[in-house]
Parts: sequence; structure tokens; C-alpha cells
Amino acid sequence: MSDAPLTPDSQGAAVGFRDFAMGRHRSLWGDAWHRLISSATGRVGLALVVFLVLGAVLSHFFWEYNPKTDLDYSLKLKPPNLTRTEEIDSIHPFGTDRLGRDVFRRVVHGGWNSLRVGLVAVGISLIIGGLLGLLAGFYESMPLGSVAKFILYGGMGLLFGAAIAWLSRQTYPLFLFPILAGIAFYWENLWRGKPQRRLAFGLVGLVLGGLPGLFAGPLSALVCGLVGLVGGLTLSMSLSGTLVSNIIMRVMDIILAFPGILLAIAIVAMLGPGLDKGMIAIGFVGIPVYARLVRASVLSVIQKEYVTAGLSVGVGQGRILFRHIVPNTLSPIIVQSTMGLASAILWAGALGFLGLGAIPPEAEWGAMLGESYKFLTSGAWWAVVFPGVAIMLSVLGFNLLGDGLRDALDPQLQM
Amino acid sequence: MTRYLIRRLISVIPTLVGVTIVIFMFLRLIPGDPAVAMLGEHAATENVERIREQLGLNRPLFLDREALAEGDLPQFVNSQYLLYLGRLFQGDMGTSIHRRVPINETLKERFPATAELALISIIIGAVVGVLAGIISAARRNSIIDTTTMFGSLAGVSMPIYWLGLMLIMLFAVGLKWLPAGGRLDPAIKLETITNLYVVDSLLTGNMEALKDSLKHLVLPAVALATHPMSIIARMTRSSMLEVLQQDYIRTAHAKGLRERVVLMRHALKNAFLPVITIIGLQTGVLLAGAILTETIFSWPGIGKWVYDAILARDYPIVQGGTLLIAIIFVGANLLVDLSYAFLDPRIHYE
Repeated sequence: MSDAPLTPDSQGAAVGFRDFAMGRHRSLWGDAWHRLISSATGRVGLALVVFLVLGAVLSHFFWEYNPKTDLDYSLKLKPPNLTRTEEIDSIHPFGTDRLGRDVFRRVVHGGWNSLRVGLVAVGISLIIGGLLGLLAGFYESMPLGSVAKFILYGGMGLLFGAAIAWLSRQTYPLFLFPILAGIAFYWENLWRGKPQRRLAFGLVGLVLGGLPGLFAGPLSALVCGLVGLVGGLTLSMSLSGTLVSNIIMRVMDIILAFPGILLAIAIVAMLGPGLDKGMIAIGFVGIPVYARLVRASVLSVIQKEYVTAGLSVGVGQGRILFRHIVPNTLSPIIVQSTMGLASAILWAGALGFLGLGAIPPEAEWGAMLGESYKFLTSGAWWAVVFPGVAIMLSVLGFNLLGDGLRDALDPQLQM
Repeated sequence: MTRYLIRRLISVIPTLVGVTIVIFMFLRLIPGDPAVAMLGEHAATENVERIREQLGLNRPLFLDREALAEGDLPQFVNSQYLLYLGRLFQGDMGTSIHRRVPINETLKERFPATAELALISIIIGAVVGVLAGIISAARRNSIIDTTTMFGSLAGVSMPIYWLGLMLIMLFAVGLKWLPAGGRLDPAIKLETITNLYVVDSLLTGNMEALKDSLKHLVLPAVALATHPMSIIARMTRSSMLEVLQQDYIRTAHAKGLRERVVLMRHALKNAFLPVITIIGLQTGVLLAGAILTETIFSWPGIGKWVYDAILARDYPIVQGGTLLIAIIFVGANLLVDLSYAFLDPRIHYE
């Protein structure tokens, strides 16, 4: 034993726990999957989601339905029937709506549209919000690489240059300020933190802004000079990733200042109704949620020892970000996306209900509700109840699945 | 503490400026000229021009560089956005395109309606939600707990407009217990003072109006309260469960204190901070959610007003209503943040 090399095998055999430790090895995801399907919440949620997704996909591809030609006034607002009668020669388990369309068929087909809206919307918010959050979180706690710093300085220079170029109606400030930014970037440590640096850059900025302004007029010179001064002072500070993070997160705060559904309605009002526009609106509204979540998890992961270890052995920032940080932020993102799907479906339904989502003959749960709710007072409950139940079941399914996933992916969390 | 207060108040300013810019741009990005919308398609060009001038639509969007070159400072800042901002500060939100009524005037009638509905809803939601949360936490894993948690999950999953429709179907159309919409029976005359009908009828001692306005409130308030109620219940439960594991709870039990005292005095007080957050945040969400509930119950509040305005393309109303809701939303978030400092002395702000 003593002269044999210590492999996991020999070690295990020696201690006698080989079967225990190695025999039933499960991967992280396999383990999470086991926990998910062994909890009641996760099982019910998964079953509901699979059932609805399968129903939507199968019906879309194998059960032909053309909403534009589906119309039969003789069957207008008939209650549900499960057997053929003399009066009605067809079976309508969920009844028919105001145009004599089979509600069951439309509910099943509506799933395709409703679930698609949810999926695309969450995709939009996840990709944009996730990337923004990743950038914000990463650059908030990491020193900028020289390329990123160059871009940051250049961008700031361009910004001030553009403002002055616009105000003074001259083109060249657009180039002057990036050059100043380049100088600030190259001699970053010159008089670092000293008043001389601020003074020098401020004065140069004042002159670079004021001179082009003089060509437009004395007042222009004053205003441009002021902008130039601010620009020079900004460039004299050592710009860091915190600036990037701050800008991103302040913009997110502004989006968050609007209640979600209202912003979505406003965006659709601007873009015009339609399923695709609804997807964009709901997706846009969700961006800050994911940006904040991803930023927070990046900030917590980045402090872990394995990131420090990676950095200390000289692993590149990109590799640290995508190989070490991203995989470790995945579980909250997966949970949030699942829950996000639930709320996206809910919002899509709301937009459809208000007549801002799917365009009428199209089968979509919210729009179906919106079309038929006026017939509720005349007793046609079936055209309203079933699409609503469909929305509720799918939202419930994703919520349950999200709950189950949270417990499965984070076993330390005691709920 | 005072410094923190001031800093937090100042931090709201950029957000609010951003909000006004977004809302302002929203109005400008919508296709169509507001002046044409006011006068109709076939209006004479000079009339359109005159209206454009009156509304300041001939000014540049943000800053006027031509005026700057001429050395005219007032004209430099005399732009559409700053005009809009200036009017906002004077409390002028513009005029409805179709009805030609100042938005302020309508807001004075419409806002109390929404406020009344939202307040009653958040009270229902908070009281029922917190109680349900406490009970499920105290009886963890019992049938009551499971039922409450499943109920709250169903509550969050329910589209509120659909729930509203179901309530109308059951209680208004089916059982005929409660009215299906509106704030007050048109046959009942009520002198309005605050436009909060419940308060007004109490002030004027009009018992008939009080009964009727409460009856009208029940269904929309329940529909609107369902979401926050469920979220508050879940939050209270998980926060209580966390606190109930603490040592001082064990100590309190060991001292022989009654269960109720331990729960209410020792656990709830400490579990309340996240609950307060959720209640505050939900109040903002509620106002926005009112857009659906009000549409269904034909409740004459801001939500239905904004919705009708969207359909009628009456954008100044959309702008005004959205701004108001956004400001309240930001304000609610701010209050939640500030309340931390008062509720939890352990939190120190430098």
C-alpha cells in the first residue's frame, strides 16, 4: 500500500468507501434534477409545464387551425356539450364563442402564441439584462483591462466632443476631445490624484471647448467652454469600471421607476399592437430585473477564493468571466427566468386582454378573454372561464417549477 | 441619519429627471402631430401652425443651438422638453386632445377614485396576507400551511382581470349581491368634498351613499388585493420562519410565554422589515395594476382613464397619468427605504 501511488481508486479501496463515494457519482445538474423531481412542488410544476408545452407544440404542428376562416354564426355562443345533439352536430367541450368558434380548439392553439410570447420576452430580457448585469458586476469589482479602459476613455472623450461639436456647429471638437482622452489614458499616472492634473486637463478642456464655440458666438463660447471644462475634469480623474456600472444601473433604475405593466402598455401604444410588439415590450420591461440579479450574483461570486486563485495564476479576465463566474451565477438566473416566464405569460395575457397584444382573429388567451368578456352578462361564461384557466394553469406551472428549481439548485436555502 | 435622508432624497432626482425624459420622448416618438390631432385631418395649415406655436411644438426638442450662437440665453433653453418640465413644475400637465379639459382638472376627480380603491386593496392585502403568513409559519407543514401556500401561489398565478370577471360573474350576474361596476349608484346623490366617496359620505353623514359606495368597492378591491395578498403572505411566512429559528424565540418559549405573545411580540416585530418592503413595493404595483381592474369594473380612476386615452390616442392624458403613477411608484420605494432607518435601529447609515 505504501509504495503504490495514491490514486482515487487505491485510496478508496484502502479505506473501503469506494462504493459510497465513487459508485453513485452524480453530477451537479443530475443532483439538482433528482432534488427537483423528488419534491412535490417541482413534480407538479414540471408536469403542468410539460403538458402545456407539449399541447401547444403538438397542436401547432399536427392540428391544423386557421383563425381567419374559422367562423360559424349558426353555432354562436353555444354552451359546452360533450355529445352530438340534433341541434348541434359537433362536439364543443368548452362551448363556442361569439363567432361560433370552438373555444377548446382556440384555447389549445392559443397556448402556442401565449407561451411563445413568454419565451421570447424572457429571452430578450435575459440576454440584454444578463449582459448588462454581467458587465456592471464584473467591472465594478475588477480593474479594467487596458482595452476596456481605452474604450471607456475614448467613449467619454467622444461624448464631450460630440456635445461641443453639436453646440458649436463645428466638426473638429469631435476629434479634439478623443485625442485629449487618449492623452489622459496614456499618461494616466501623471500627477495622479494631484490638483495639477485637474488644473491642466480642466484648462485644456476649457480651451478646446471654448475656441470652437467662439466661431459660433460669445455665448456659445461660454457654454462650450463650460462643457469642455467639465469634460477635461472628468478625463483627469482616473476612470474606472465603477463608472460603467453606475451608468448601467442608473438607466436600469429609470426603467424600474415605471410600474412594469404600464411601461409595457406604453411601449405597445407606441409601437402599435401585435404579438411581436408585445414580446418586445414585455421583454424590455424585464431587462432591469435580470440586470440587477446578474450584477448581484456576479458581485458575490467574484469575491470567492477560486476567482482570486484564477486571477493570481494569471488567467485572463474573459476566461475568468465566462468559465468561472458565469457558470456559478446560473442557478439564480434559471430560477428567475422560470418565474419570469410566469409573469411574462401573465403580462402577455393582460396586453391581449386590453386589445394591445395579438390581433383579433389570432387565438391568444388574453385576447380571447378580451373578446368575450362582454358576453358574460348574457351568461356565456364558458368563453371567459376556459382561456383564463389556461393562463392560470400555465402561470401556476411555471411558478411551481420555479419554486421547485430554487429548492433544487440551492440546497442550503431553508424555506 | 439626516445626511442619509438628504442623500437618499437627492438620489431620487436623476431618476425623476430620467422618468420625465422617457415620458416626454414617448409622446414625441409616437407617430402623428398633436396639433393635427387637435384640429383634425383637414385643418388649414396656418391654424395648425398657430397651434404648434401655442404648444411650443416649433421649438427644438432639448436645446436651441441657433439661439446660442446669437447669444440669446433664454431662447437657448426655451425648448420643448424644458417647456414641458417648466409647465410640470407649475402643476400644468397639459390638456386632453379630445375633450379639451385640462388634465389637472380630470386628475382631481380621477385620482381619488384610484387612491380609494388602492388603499382599501392594500389594507385588505396587508391584513389578510400578514395574518395568513403568521398562521402558516406558526403551523409549519400543517394542512393550514399547505392550503395557504397553495392558495397564495394560485393567487399570484391568477390574471387579476380574469379574477375580476369571475367575481362579477359569481356575485354580480349570478347571485346579484353586489354591483358589477362603477363607484356609486347614479340614483344616489353625494356631495363630493375629497372625492373619496367613503370619506365624503362619512363627512356628510350620508349613510345610504356610504353603504352603496362600500358595496361598489368590495369586488374591485378583492380582485386588486389578490396579488399583493398572496405575495405578502409568502413573504411573511418565510421571514417568520427565519426568525422563529432564532435563539431568543427559544428563550421566550422557555420562559413560558404564551404562543401568541411569542409570535406577535418577539417574532413578528423582527420579521416585519422585509414584509414592510413588500407592502410598500406592492402599493406602487397596485396603482399600475389598477389599469386592468378599473377597466373591468368601469371604475372611473386613473387606470381606466389612461387605458381609454391609449385607445383614443389622447397622449397628453397617457403622459400625465403615467407620470403620476411613476412618481407615486418612486415615492413609495423611497418611503420604504427611509422607513428602514426608523424601523430598525440596528441599521446605520453613514
